[in-house]
Order: sequence, then C-alpha cells, then structure tokens
Amino acid sequence: MNLLPWIVVAWLMLAGLYGMITSGNIVHLIGCLSTVQSATYVLLLAAGYRHGAGAPIFYTHPPGTPAVDPVVQALVLTDIVIGGAVTALLLALALQLHKRRGSLKPDELRALHR
Amino acid sequence: MMLPLLPPLPVVMPLTIAALLLAFSHVLPRPVPDAVALFATVMAGGVCLAMLGPALHAPLVYWFGGWVPRHGFPIGIGFYVDPPSAAMGVFIAVLFTAALVFSWGYYDEVHAHFHVLMLLFLAGMIGFCLTHDLFDMFVWFEVISVAAYALTGYQLRVSALEGAINFTIVNSIGSYLFLAGIGLVYIRIGALDFSALEQGMRQATPDMVARGGFVLVATGLLIKAAQVPFHFWLSDAHAVAPSPVSVIFSGVMVALGMFGLAKLCWTVFLPAGELTQGVRHFLLGMGIVTVLLGGLMALSQRHLKRLLAFSTISHTGMLLIGLASFRPQGLAGLFVYLVGHGLVKGALFMISGILLATRGGIDELGLRGAGRPIWPAGLAMAAGGVLLAGLPFGLMGQGDDYISAPLRHSLGGIVPFAIVFGAACTAGAVLRAAGRIFLGLGPVAGEEERGPTDEEAEKADRPLWLMLWPAVILLLLSLIVPNGANAFLTGLVRDWLPPESANLTTGAPMLQKPPHDPAAWFGLPAALALAAFDLMRHRLPAWFVGMVDKMKNPLLRYLQAAHSGDVRDYVAWAAFGLATFAVVWNI
Repeated sequence: MNLLPWIVVAWLMLAGLYGMITSGNIVHLIGCLSTVQSATYVLLLAAGYRHGAGAPIFYTHPPGTPAVDPVVQALVLTDIVIGGAVTALLLALALQLHKRRGSLKPDELRALHR
Repeated sequence: MMLPLLPPLPVVMPLTIAALLLAFSHVLPRPVPDAVALFATVMAGGVCLAMLGPALHAPLVYWFGGWVPRHGFPIGIGFYVDPPSAAMGVFIAVLFTAALVFSWGYYDEVHAHFHVLMLLFLAGMIGFCLTHDLFDMFVWFEVISVAAYALTGYQLRVSALEGAINFTIVNSIGSYLFLAGIGLVYIRIGALDFSALEQGMRQATPDMVARGGFVLVATGLLIKAAQVPFHFWLSDAHAVAPSPVSVIFSGVMVALGMFGLAKLCWTVFLPAGELTQGVRHFLLGMGIVTVLLGGLMALSQRHLKRLLAFSTISHTGMLLIGLASFRPQGLAGLFVYLVGHGLVKGALFMISGILLATRGGIDELGLRGAGRPIWPAGLAMAAGGVLLAGLPFGLMGQGDDYISAPLRHSLGGIVPFAIVFGAACTAGAVLRAAGRIFLGLGPVAGEEERGPTDEEAEKADRPLWLMLWPAVILLLLSLIVPNGANAFLTGLVRDWLPPESANLTTGAPMLQKPPHDPAAWFGLPAALALAAFDLMRHRLPAWFVGMVDKMKNPLLRYLQAAHSGDVRDYVAWAAFGLATFAVVWNI
C-alpha cells in the first residue's frame, strides 16, 4: 500500500471534521459526516487492494489466481448500507426539525435553545 | 443436546419477531404487540440464563453457516458465549423486561413501531455481547445505535429532534472511527476473530498502523460509553428520549460501550502487550475526570432526566476506573457496578417517567411539592438516591469495593476521594430533587435555576402501581448480593484473564474479596449535606450561602457553558479527545 491512499484518507477525514465543526447548516453538517465516512471506504478498499490482481470471483479463472481481498469489500458494502440508513434517518430528523423550528442553522437553533 | 444451537437464538428470535410484528402490525389488536415484545424479551433472557451455567464450565462456540476454523485459523464469524457475555445478556433482558412492563399500553397509536425498535435494540445489544469477531461487533454496535437514534427522536418534539440529531452525529463519528480502526488492525494482522487477532498481535511487532487501529477502536467505544470529552451527546439524548427508552440508555447502553472496551482490552490488547503504563494512566485519568465532571454537572441541573443523565456519566466513569486498573478485582468490580448502577438508574428513570405521566412535568423547580399525592414514588426515588451514594452494601457498594481496592494508593490516593465526591454529588442531586418535588422543600433555588429545562409530559393513562412496581423490583434486585458472589465473580472473570494469571494447579482463588472501602461511608452524609444546603439556603446565614456559591458557581457556570447544545462544539471536543489519546498511545 503506497502513500497516496493514506493521504486521501487523512484528507477526507480531516476535511469532513473541519466542515462539521465550522458548519452553518445541519444538512451541510450531515454531508460532512458522509465525507468522514468516505474516508473509511477508501481506507478499507486500499487495505484489500493487490496490485495486478483481479476480482475475487473465481468463475472464469481457477481458485488460487491472485485476487483482491474480498473480506474488506464485504466490510465496505456493509458500511455503505449502514451509512445510508444513518444519513436517511438524520435527514428525516432534520426535515422534522425544520418543520417545527423553521431553521436549520445551528446558531439560530442555539439562540432559541435556552 | 440442544446446547450447541442456543447461542444465535437470543439474537435471531427477537429479530424474527420484530419483523413479524412489523408485517402484521396493522391487523394486531392493541395489547398484542406489548405481550409479544415482552414474551420475546423474556425468552431471550431465558436462553442467555440457560447458557450461563454451561458457559461457566466451558464457553459455548457457534460458527455461523458452519464455517468452522480450518487448520486452527478462523474463516467464519462466531458467537462465543463466555460467562461475562451470557451474564450481560441476562442483565440486558431483565432491564428490557422492566422497561416493557413499565411502558405497557403506552405506545399503542402507531403500528407497534416502538416495540419493533425495542426488539431491534435488544437483539443488537445481545449480539454485541456474544460476538467474537471485530467487524461483527461493529455491525451490532450499529444496530444498537440506529435503533437508539430512532427511539430518541420518537416523539418528534423539537427538543427530542435536536437531542436525536446531536446523538446521531457524535455517535456516527464514533462508529466511523471504530470502522477505520478495524481497517487498520486488519491491514496489520489480517484477521478479525478475537483469538486470531490476539495470536497475530503476539507475533507481529505493533507499529504505528496497528496502534492507530487500537486508538480508533477504543475511541469509538469511549464515545459510546460517554467518557469526557466524548460525553456531550449523552445528556442531550437521555433527557429527551421517552422515559422507558432512557431506562435502557442509562441502564445498559452506555455501559455496553465500556463492556465492549473491557472485552477487547482484556482479551486482545492486554495479552498483546499493547497497553503501556501511559495508556493505563490516561484511561484512569479520563475515568476520574468523568466521575467528577458528571457529579458537578448533575448538581447544577433542574431538568430531572438531564440530572440523571449526568449522574450516568459520572457512574460510567467509575466503570472506566475499574477497567483502567487492569486487575482482576477491577474487572469484577466493573461487572458488579455495571449491574448495580443499571438497576438503580433504570428505577430512577422510571420515577421520572411517573412524574411525566402523572404530574405532567419534569422540571424540578416547577414540580416543587407536586409529588405529594404520589408519595410512594418519592420513597422509591429517595431510596435510589441513597443507593447512588455508594454505601457499602448492595451491588453498587460491592462494586465500589472491588473497583477501589486495587487503586487505593495509585495517583497519590486520589481515586477513593474522586469516587466519594462523584457519588456524593450525584446522590445529593437526586436527593435534592426528591426533597423538592415530594416534600415541597427548597423554595429558593441555587445554581440549578440556570440549567436548561423543557416543557414535557407523557400520556397519563396508566395506573401508578403498574409504573411503580418495576422500579421497586429493580431497586430491590440491586440490594441483593448473594453468598458466594466472589466465587461466581471468579468464574465470571476467569475466562478473560490471560492464562498465566490463573492459578489452576493449586485451585487458589485468583480473585481476592476486597475489604470494605472505609471511604464509602462518607458518601451519604456528604450527599445529604449537599442536598440540605440547596434545599435550606433560605434558612442558612446569608454570608455562608454567599461564600459557598462564590466558590463553586464560577466553575459550574463554565461547565454549563461548555455543554452548549451545539453539535459543532461536541464534534470539536471529540476531535480534541481523539488527538490527545493518539498522542498518549504513541509515546
């Protein structure tokens, strides 16, 4: 695993966290959360990558030929499903909040908080 | 023999029943979802109990899909039922049973969604305890989390939605850190099964990658376990969730993060020689700060559920202290304290639910004297407050002894002091609230007046006795410490300890029964003094009240301001905590 995936992972994670901390809107903040999550996709896929290897499906070529690690691909798939569920739930919550408060700006929400 | 087939049952059965409930919810008459959910919970607990006995002799192992290990290397995903995991499953089911009885008939309006979510929640927790695979652990962690997010925002009130969003965002960051950690560990070790991980780590020399993996996994679990500075989401979420859900949140969900961390530390990281002195001290320090901060914050709340939420933070810090000693006694103390606190805190959240349903409020100052007609609830609340003070009897007292015994002299003897301070603050806060609500004391409010509050009520259609008796039973359970508890605990922790620490040849007990912690006697008097100070401030000399307020209020206000309710601040704190942890682990 060369340096490039590490840089991409760190960049995505830090950019996502920075975006969350400085966000001006809950929907934007949820988008930044997804950015943090994408860092995990890159990390996992890079972890299983073998240079010059094929897909881990031994239908046309015999078992034993070089293939990328199927375990991490299963992990990424699960991760995507979970991420989808969480993002959908968060957006639904944000929508309901907007219906009741008329705003999704953290500063305005905070002003009414106390 | 049925035994080998039992392990997946407490997970598969609630999930199947939840799916069926959802499919037929529109045709089921009113009490059916309540009865079915209760039945599934009791059965899941029963299966865990049935596995506990055999597990004390040898852990039960189940490989899904028949993927048994080849040449000693695990290639499938397994459930591994060791005594602590089975016992945890039983405890989870007990608490869910109490919560479902408490909420009987409350959630009949929407197609049994509440019951479906609760069963998902239950299955996720038991799966989290039984699994023996790091990624599978993450999946159950997510099942728990998603069910919990949905249950928090269930009532769709403004504060519930805000609390649920904060909860979801902070915990999702925890999940992604956990997952990234799993990726790093997998890169280095190439395995996910706990035993294979441990073996792999013994052989490989840990480098930055593996170590980074530990830090991220541990941080994910510490966020779930709400340790300072990862704790901010908890008070927002627990304060707004429906009260039967808060019973589960505070009673077991938070503690489960600590259980997972303890399992990983003891069975994977510790044998691999990864937990350096620096890391242990860092965790111990984090636990102590959490105990102190949770206690101080609990004292300055007026929203009863928020008050209890901060008390949960403080008591979960106790669990981390028990873990961070890395002694068998500390681990045993973690288990005992976890169960004792879960029972007491569950009962206290039920009492706040009773106030919401019968008195239509949750604000301590607004409810002053309003509790008189339901005085039995007041007695139960006072009993819960006394138990939180950590007197040396009952499960919490026992756990306290086990946790503090190995640490009496470390860090300059600060640990017993911190424990008493946290217990006194949380118990004092609960006793103050009980005195104000049920006796009408305390016409003049102190610092708690500045705490955030909320207009909230729950449906008043259940008789008082129905809501009160699960709370009373939980309180009574927390008082029972059977004879032979030490022998049982020895059996419980034995499976997690590294083989070299077991003295199998002589049969001598490895777990010393600790002496009573003499400091524990100070908890209750201190709690009573704190409660009396706030309730009697109009009678006390003004100079005295002014002096005490001048000493404590600046600190309390600073802490209140830090708990801003703004999720961006929480993310920043979590990032700060992660960075500190990473630096400490790599020194």
